[in-house]
Amino acid sequence: MSLGRKIILYTILIAISFTTLFPFLWMFSSSFKTMGEIFSLTPSFIPDNIFAEGMWNNYKSILQEYNFLRFIFNSFVVAGLAALGQLFTCSLGGFAFARMEFRFKEVIFALMLATMMIPIQVTIIPEYFIMLKLNWYNTYLPLIVPSMLIGSFGTFLLRSTFENMPSSMEEAAFIDGVNDWQMFYMVFLPNAKPALASLFIIAFMNNWNALLRPVIYIDKPDLYTITMGLAMFKGNYGTQWHLLLAGSVLSILPLLFIYMSMQKYFVRGMLTSGTKG
Amino acid sequence: MKYKKITPWLFLIPTLLGLVFFRLGPMLAAGLASFTRWNVFSPPKWIGLGNYIELFSSGTFRMILKNTLIFSGLFVPGVMIAALFLALLVNNRLRGMTFFRGLFYLPVITSVVSIGVIWSWILSPRFGLLYQLVSKFFNIARLPSFLGQPEYALYTLIFVYVWKMAGYQMILFLAGLQNIPQVYYEAATIDGASIWQKFRYITLPLLTPTTFFVLIISIIMSLKTFELTYIMTQGGPNYASTTLIYSIYVNAFKHFRMGYASAMSYILFIIVAVFTYLNFKYKKRWVHYSE
Repeated sequence: MSLGRKIILYTILIAISFTTLFPFLWMFSSSFKTMGEIFSLTPSFIPDNIFAEGMWNNYKSILQEYNFLRFIFNSFVVAGLAALGQLFTCSLGGFAFARMEFRFKEVIFALMLATMMIPIQVTIIPEYFIMLKLNWYNTYLPLIVPSMLIGSFGTFLLRSTFENMPSSMEEAAFIDGVNDWQMFYMVFLPNAKPALASLFIIAFMNNWNALLRPVIYIDKPDLYTITMGLAMFKGNYGTQWHLLLAGSVLSILPLLFIYMSMQKYFVRGMLTSGTKG
Repeated sequence: MKYKKITPWLFLIPTLLGLVFFRLGPMLAAGLASFTRWNVFSPPKWIGLGNYIELFSSGTFRMILKNTLIFSGLFVPGVMIAALFLALLVNNRLRGMTFFRGLFYLPVITSVVSIGVIWSWILSPRFGLLYQLVSKFFNIARLPSFLGQPEYALYTLIFVYVWKMAGYQMILFLAGLQNIPQVYYEAATIDGASIWQKFRYITLPLLTPTTFFVLIISIIMSLKTFELTYIMTQGGPNYASTTLIYSIYVNAFKHFRMGYASAMSYILFIIVAVFTYLNFKYKKRWVHYSE
């Protein structure tokens, strides 16, 4: 590649990076500012109080006075359990679809794939009544249970993972006399770790970011997830941008850390959902 | 050497529970509910096509359908062109490309709610960043309120959503690009083809299966956009940015008109079902095209 072309490409890449990053960076820097500084008519990128007295005031205030510490905890519980649950559901289901023969296999699998794209808004009204009947309103359960049991994408991902493993592995284990559960749990599952990691991250992210179910099923502030807490805070104190931005940074950080440390699993998982969904 | 007959069914218990109780069952129930008048406090009453008749004779609903159409009609080409451009860009072999790919993907993993907060703030009138920058560098006294004025609100949502999602479609396109055999490009280079000709006669045709898939995914994605509306405009001002999916939420959980909202959800269901079907039906043929 010629030097000229390289320079042009890098220029474009950097310009786009700037468009992508700038809103985040500006939010991050402003999350330290006081309200007065945010509304100042001559905005500066570096907050006045950086590395000085009161730098963390916004964060202290939002975490303690506005209960965001609790919201973050709730989100970890909900997203973590839902993601673990999906690993359970999808690895078992995917294994059955990949390695076993049974009646209606194709029909069940097709139904699962066909309903994958249907938005939750289509099923949410009957679901709401199921949750009311089960007395699950204002608990974590409606945020966890449907999500852990509907794992079309994960089942698909794990089915192809298990399908691609050699039959010789299976035959050898049968000769050794393992039972069906051991075959799944001790022979196949340990070999599916990358796919499981992808699925966990994607499920965790989706549940961390979900808004509809929390808004519908939760009205006790102690049970708000971070996403919902942020939405509620915007609704109630929409002009307190200094706190709102600090809350927004807090809602992004955990996913950002996971993303940066496990980027390859993210992309691999998304690709499977994309090219084969 | 075989599994016991009962084993697959035991393994499928969670999957089947989910499929029956949270997908197929509710889908059927929503279909039935769409023929009833039903709020939460009294039992449903059968009214036949009443909800559908009310929907299609309502000016508000026509406006909502129009908004949905505009949203999809602009979001889909917008995000696809942006994503294809990004994918072509990051498909170049250059130092640091993994970094750029990761960076362009960043808005995708960030929650819609925080994206909505960031952009609401950037676009907020008078004190928002955009207003401050514009008034600093250009001598424009007043910008319109991009979220507060009905003629702009919907388009602002579309813009923000394209900005947020382009990285996702980029990854899909990138996978498609990397499946195109390098020899075609080499042969074309020998024949003296220009960059544009290579794009027009090699990349675009061989990318068709991917493009088709990305098109379907993008259409469905556009129809599912709920969170951004919720956080940025609440469907307002005065329904100007209310789309079908947002209206279902409002009618069901703000007005508690469950039957009416179910009828809307069924209209959405049918639209999504058509695109899902098209995807299943044409995918094979498109795939053959490339092989």
